[in-house]
Amino acid sequence: MKTIKNYAIQTLIGSALALFSLQPALAQERVIRVGVTMRLLNESGIAYGTMTRDELLAANAKGGVNGAKIEVILLDDECKPDKGVANVNRFIHQNKVHLILGSTCSSVTLPIVDVATKEQVPQVVPQSTNSSITQKGSDWVFRVAISERFYAAVHAKYVAENVGKKIAYLYTNDGAGIAFANQFKSYMKTTYNIDPLFEAQMQETDLDFRSQLLRIKSMNPDAIALGGQSDAMARQVQQSYEVGIPKRTVRVAASAAVNIPFPTLAGDAAEGAIFAAAFNCRDERPLAREFVAMVNQKFKVSCPDHDFSQAWDSVQIVKQALTKANLKLTDASLADDRRAIRDALTSIRYEGLAAGPIEFCPAPTPQCRDGNRTGILVQYTKGGKDFESKVLSRVGFDKDFGLPK
Amino acid sequence: MSLVLQWLTALAVMAVLPWFAVNNYQHFLLDLILINVLLAIGLNVVKGFAGQVTVGHVALMAVGAYASAIFSLKFGLPFWLALPAGVLVAIVAGLLVAVPSFRLEGAYLALATLGLAESVRIFISATDYLGAAIGLSDIPAPSFFGFVLDTHLRYYYVVMPLAMLGIYFSQQMLSSSVGRAFMAIREDPLAAEASGVNVRFYKSLAFGISALYAGFAGGLMAHMTPGFIHPNNYTLVEMVSVLLMIILGGIGNIWGGIVGAIVVTIIYDLTRDYYQIQMILFGSIIVLTVMFMPSGIGGVIGHRIKNRRFIALRKMTTQLKSDRNDS
Repeated sequence: MKTIKNYAIQTLIGSALALFSLQPALAQERVIRVGVTMRLLNESGIAYGTMTRDELLAANAKGGVNGAKIEVILLDDECKPDKGVANVNRFIHQNKVHLILGSTCSSVTLPIVDVATKEQVPQVVPQSTNSSITQKGSDWVFRVAISERFYAAVHAKYVAENVGKKIAYLYTNDGAGIAFANQFKSYMKTTYNIDPLFEAQMQETDLDFRSQLLRIKSMNPDAIALGGQSDAMARQVQQSYEVGIPKRTVRVAASAAVNIPFPTLAGDAAEGAIFAAAFNCRDERPLAREFVAMVNQKFKVSCPDHDFSQAWDSVQIVKQALTKANLKLTDASLADDRRAIRDALTSIRYEGLAAGPIEFCPAPTPQCRDGNRTGILVQYTKGGKDFESKVLSRVGFDKDFGLPK
Repeated sequence: MSLVLQWLTALAVMAVLPWFAVNNYQHFLLDLILINVLLAIGLNVVKGFAGQVTVGHVALMAVGAYASAIFSLKFGLPFWLALPAGVLVAIVAGLLVAVPSFRLEGAYLALATLGLAESVRIFISATDYLGAAIGLSDIPAPSFFGFVLDTHLRYYYVVMPLAMLGIYFSQQMLSSSVGRAFMAIREDPLAAEASGVNVRFYKSLAFGISALYAGFAGGLMAHMTPGFIHPNNYTLVEMVSVLLMIILGGIGNIWGGIVGAIVVTIIYDLTRDYYQIQMILFGSIIVLTVMFMPSGIGGVIGHRIKNRRFIALRKMTTQLKSDRNDS
């Protein structure tokens, strides 16, 4: 037993030595290091991550940013907060990054904000929508994605003013589903004094929503608000037709309906469903057409969703900020460089794939750090693999909109 | 060297270890390794020693984490009270998990504990009071006379003594009559019962002790900066990682489990860049370990030691015989 213990202690010491032999990335001169943490292992995750990395590295082919090369460290956080925090700790302390880009999931971005703020590293949020992210008062966080406080109003205003006031809510208990339903309900209550006709929260792993949908059918609602991830919403909308809810009842989906699994899994049932988004692949602007062609060619995705466009916009914003910031890029100047990048981000005004301008300002408030305040309301006109959609409206918001008074 | 001196030396080595780390990320990894060590010991007690097939260990960790966080956030208890209170709640949950083990064994018990584990995760996801699917944030870091332990280096000095205490306690317990009762139940519950071992009591004790470790691991994880917990951190994938720690280290071998926790945490970190194949790698390690090293690292080392002792003994006997013949 004692010898086993000795061996174990030797292994322990060996492991400790192995751990400490993991030298941090040698801080090279004139290199800008960017850490990207995203949910990579899902339907389009690898494509989002690869596109982000490639777009950042594309600057190197053109001589870099003010002569400095960009180095990208791309890690998967699996949409799990502990993994995201581990990634960011590694970026900051081991890789000595100048900037963090991420994450996809709000539940990961929320704790990352705390780490980035404490360690004073600028963070650009490409895809997370939870309102609280910018309400933490961090001086280091900049969001490119549209906040839920805006999304909710895009749907809700349209439904209340064009569809009706009898709304049933069916959503899954993941962050996206809960936030969508809560914001929607809250906006309907505060703006129009409308209470939910029916409400049911399901598990994110549930496959069968028919019993709830049958109850909804018996109440004859004007609209059903469907919340959750894209595959769950695809099942919800498909089963709503199976139980006989008529087409005149408008299916309002959370913004994840923009993701490809929704129209492809829902098939014909997707037709008529409306959702709020930041980008539509049928956008006719030359920049958008060029972007769609690029994604199609590189990733074989014919209609890129707004997670693609927001990741791309984020990269362009990062590149602009890096160009603007006066970076020294030495080991000793890391903290100053991080601060310079943050300061450069505060003065960004960018027009790209988003439906409106993205702009930040110095105050660490949601007014300044929720950069994108323009949403679009999209309707699927055809479901299935070759889905089609059209933009119903484009809605711009005031900086203070949706914030607690 | 006396046992006390050995432990004091180990404690001294562990106390200076973080000073050899080159950056704060390695402090973070050290904290994580020690928390995983606690988790692995807990699972080894119930699975390796008492032979109860449980896959609900991360749920007990979740209970410990959430209970400790709630005591801190909602009731304003300081870390030093919230953590043990959270551990107590985890122990109660552990005793509840023990109930099905009175009547179920093997795959059936695994299925029951899996159900319980998923229920815990789903309950958390659906409960606003617990932060639901958004997670629970701003869980305070411990402070000591106004000195806040909110860096990974400072937090190490909370985690390390607890981990060392956990290792010491497990060693003492498992070499006592309690450990022997656990092993008797693992080998044959009927024979153990016939020999006077109160099987129900010891099964409950095994689950309770296992929950104590899981509760500590959960609570320590919750209070570690940035103080954020989420139900996604307690899924079946995490359970598989803990199982891998004890399978790789050696089921039923405390030191093996500790080595397993260290090795798995380090491998996980080293393979982080290869996310496409990381899970395949981990799955392959489990399959290969079960096929070629069923007793894990600890078992292989133990086997070699036995062989070496046997060879030495044989040499000695042969030498003695030849000496006798010569004379």
